[in-house]
Amino acid sequence: MKKAILFLAAAFCVPAAAQEDKDLDLIPGSVANAAAPSSAAKDQGKYSLDDAFGWYGFRGQLAVPLSGGMPSRWANRLSFDGLDTFTLSPALSFTASDRLSLASADGIGFPNKALRNDIREAYFTYEAAPQTYLEAGRINLRYGVAYGYNPTDFFRSRTSVAQSSSDPGAQRLNRLGTVLLRGQHFFDGGAVELVYAPKLHSPVPLGLTPGPFDPKIDQTNGSDRLLAAFSFELEEFSPQMLVYYEGGRTKFGLNLSHPIGASVIAYASWAGDMASSATVDAFAFAKRTRTFPATLPVTPTQSLSRGFKNDLSVGANWSGEYKESITIEYNFHQAGFSQADWKDWFATGANPAFSQVMWYLRGYASDIQQPMSRHQAFVRADWAEPFHIEHADVGAYVMTNLLDGSSIGQISASYDLSDQWSLGIYGSGSIGGRKSEWGSLRGSSSVVVQAVRYF
Amino acid sequence: MRKPMKHVLIGLAIALTLFEGARAAEPTAQEIIAGVDAGRNPGQSFRVTDVLTEYVNGKPQASNQLVVFVRQNKTTKQYDNLVRYVLPVRDAGKMVLMNGSNMWFYDPSSKASVRISPQQRLLGQASNGDVATVNLSRDYNSTLLGEEKLNDADKQPRDCWHLELKAANDEAVYSRIEFWIEKGTNRQIKGKFFSDSGRLLKIAYYHKFTPMMGRMIPAETIVIDAVNQNLITTMAMSDMQARDVPDSWFQRDFLPRLKID
Repeated sequence: MKKAILFLAAAFCVPAAAQEDKDLDLIPGSVANAAAPSSAAKDQGKYSLDDAFGWYGFRGQLAVPLSGGMPSRWANRLSFDGLDTFTLSPALSFTASDRLSLASADGIGFPNKALRNDIREAYFTYEAAPQTYLEAGRINLRYGVAYGYNPTDFFRSRTSVAQSSSDPGAQRLNRLGTVLLRGQHFFDGGAVELVYAPKLHSPVPLGLTPGPFDPKIDQTNGSDRLLAAFSFELEEFSPQMLVYYEGGRTKFGLNLSHPIGASVIAYASWAGDMASSATVDAFAFAKRTRTFPATLPVTPTQSLSRGFKNDLSVGANWSGEYKESITIEYNFHQAGFSQADWKDWFATGANPAFSQVMWYLRGYASDIQQPMSRHQAFVRADWAEPFHIEHADVGAYVMTNLLDGSSIGQISASYDLSDQWSLGIYGSGSIGGRKSEWGSLRGSSSVVVQAVRYF
Repeated sequence: MRKPMKHVLIGLAIALTLFEGARAAEPTAQEIIAGVDAGRNPGQSFRVTDVLTEYVNGKPQASNQLVVFVRQNKTTKQYDNLVRYVLPVRDAGKMVLMNGSNMWFYDPSSKASVRISPQQRLLGQASNGDVATVNLSRDYNSTLLGEEKLNDADKQPRDCWHLELKAANDEAVYSRIEFWIEKGTNRQIKGKFFSDSGRLLKIAYYHKFTPMMGRMIPAETIVIDAVNQNLITTMAMSDMQARDVPDSWFQRDFLPRLKID
């Protein structure tokens, strides 16, 4: 009997343990015997030098002609980037974020167009009381949970800074902050926030080339703005409610997100106000900045009525076991172009006398980072460490106009050579008929390669 | 033939009786796991520095230094984490909030807080922190699979309980875990972590037990990537210190405010 029990023990226990001990063979001696790393941890700034070289392709015949010659088919941008926070006292700190770039391409003259310094942020933070913060200076404020288009990202207008990737997510990496005063208080499970951004300069026309060290305050602080935000926890929806005031208009916003199972995050972002169409807004801005004569009639003439306008993004992000993720998002921009507006835009723009006016509408939408169309879809896929390649990432996104089926998108890949060096490549393109939103653009494709050295 | 068979049956009955008697003196699986929790989870909020070093074929390839603020959630009794990346510079200032299923990632460059799913929690470097700080007895139902003599990371034999843990609620990070717990000390010696689909994700060895905040805590955990076995990540914990970590920190909007003191 004893033998039988020992046999059973041998049969079921010993091989299992021996099998488990085989896992130890997977640990090389260099790992098991490595010296303990330093435990000193200190916040530090983030500095980098990056160079991006791009080739650009263009469409020859446009449905709505553009003035000016063909842009350069190549461009290079060398940038020094810094982000740091300096502690001045236990309660007071100063944060600065800046980028100095040197661009070169056919037709770019030095220094006015080649050199560009962007002070993205420069602000003081004061902890006035426990969990209560006051801030003053240029701050990049961002609200919203969506990936493709964030209706509640109220401070995005006219903040773009040149960069390598066209991904909407990357657009947010490099943008100018707004000069403002901010107060924020935290309590268990929530936060309240008040923001005042004063008008410091009259708005300037689109397309001006500022001096190399112009801080572009005229772009980011062209009007008085107020914002109140309230975030709290409710049944894992993490709601955030916002009220925003600018130029006599009050906008309301709401952000929600919620996990579904272990792999999906669903989200929605909404904003709404009494507003005119995007066309009316663009004309009003052009007349205010004296780009258009005051008597120029608004056109296209579709959808010009004022009323309550909704902006909505709803979507879901799914993540898989193999470090892949997919985001699908629908964007509704009620003030944007309907199909009738697009038809009108192409018909009006075909007349050379009005073509530049029509392109101004699109330039304005791009500058304030609003969708041009009423309905669009955004799909994004990312895969970290594809095929088990460590430190590599691949990704792609497509933005589709749901009215005409045209699309703009990008495929990207990046690889971290070391803790200091990263390489990236971005291939972008747009497809669609000549009389479609994305097929009517002059730029058709681009490939940008980038090398970054971190310090 | 009948007599030997009778002896065997009597023998089995005695053996079973003895086995049951022995079992009565043994701790239950849930008691063992509760002992593991008590042995390694400090009873108060704290701050710790983690250095994650990634080895490919035994050669160090990349290293992340993280500062983690941990507090026990009064309601769920689970450990909530705020992770701030210190190194490499590429990732400096990035943060991850893990508060039950309320998880956010913050990038100071974009000023964007992105909500992440429990699945994404398993993917990043910070996920290795999960291997270290989990309230096992709350989130898992345990079964004692048996006793095994097992070598630890230093190839020293250890008498262990072999346990299987299955997720008891939605907040459990892994659907299944196997642990080898040293008898007498209730120290984790080895763990295997599985995904929802039953795929083995990680194999962890715990060693260099060191006194920290009144507990004997493994100063280093060696995590083997079960899919790519050439990839090993070591997680070295140090500078663990009691720290007031207010509840109000565990929300999306606080992430940009988190500083390393």
